[in-house]
Amino acid sequence: MERKPAPEDDALDHELMAAVARRDGRAFTRLVERHLGWSLGFAERMLGARHEAEDLVQTAFLRVWQGASRWEPKAKFSTWLYRVLHNLCMDHFRARGGAQEALDEELPDDAPGNEERLAGLQREARVRAALAALPDRQRAALVLCYYEERPQAEAASLLGVSVGALESLLSRGRAALRKWLQEELH
Amino acid sequence: MDLNRFKDCAAAYGKERRRWPAQELELYDRFARTPEGAAILAQAERTDRFLDAFVPAAPDPGLARRVGVPAKPAWRRFGAPAAALAASAALGFAVGFAQVRDEIDADPVARLLLGPQSVQEIGL
Repeated sequence: MERKPAPEDDALDHELMAAVARRDGRAFTRLVERHLGWSLGFAERMLGARHEAEDLVQTAFLRVWQGASRWEPKAKFSTWLYRVLHNLCMDHFRARGGAQEALDEELPDDAPGNEERLAGLQREARVRAALAALPDRQRAALVLCYYEERPQAEAASLLGVSVGALESLLSRGRAALRKWLQEELH
Repeated sequence: MDLNRFKDCAAAYGKERRRWPAQELELYDRFARTPEGAAILAQAERTDRFLDAFVPAAPDPGLARRVGVPAKPAWRRFGAPAAALAASAALGFAVGFAQVRDEIDADPVARLLLGPQSVQEIGL
């Protein structure tokens, strides 16, 4: 997984966005290379399905290209991109009407040497299923704060809630996961 | 009271210090090594470990190529094929038109029905 850009890279993002606004295709490609990894990880954890995450990320970067001329470097590019991705995820959830898709995990054949990988995929599938069962906002809070390690103020702003409400979403989300795990064990 | 707050934070942010809010780090440092605090963090760690099992794979190069190529405007994407289609249509129309006119001129029945002047009147 590609690392998240460090704070000192923000200036480079701003330069690239200015170039993208001038329709510089190479700058756009560079921007995608820098941010595709974490964007895809965020979308996949939010949506639970890889192919949906890929479509969503593609749409997000299309919006980056289309909206570059209107973008103002008031905040970090990554914060803005998080907002684009988060809004697209929420649109996706609304379009899906809250219904969760069945988990369709492709597991490899029982070939020798695959047991460890299979066990890993099964563990991952359980997390996908547990996250997918959470209410959208609790899942979004967990993905932003736990996986993405965004500062509380930024995550709260993205979700449109206070820091206190964010903490409540996180607590309820983790409590639901604990309950889910306990029920699974019994 | 402070231990309750420590418990609330562990329930929301998990075991790892780096995920806690900056203003609660002093609280973390005060309780993390106490028996009560360690027990609370151990419970939070179970949820952390569960979440850690979900590690999305890196994007495949094909996706990077698809996403990283900026979208061209419609006129640039479809301009050349559309121009070729329009040219073919115009050529086909011209050829067809010439053939119809020759056929009418050559066809005695058409000439009889329409007459040479009528053929000119209807613009053929």
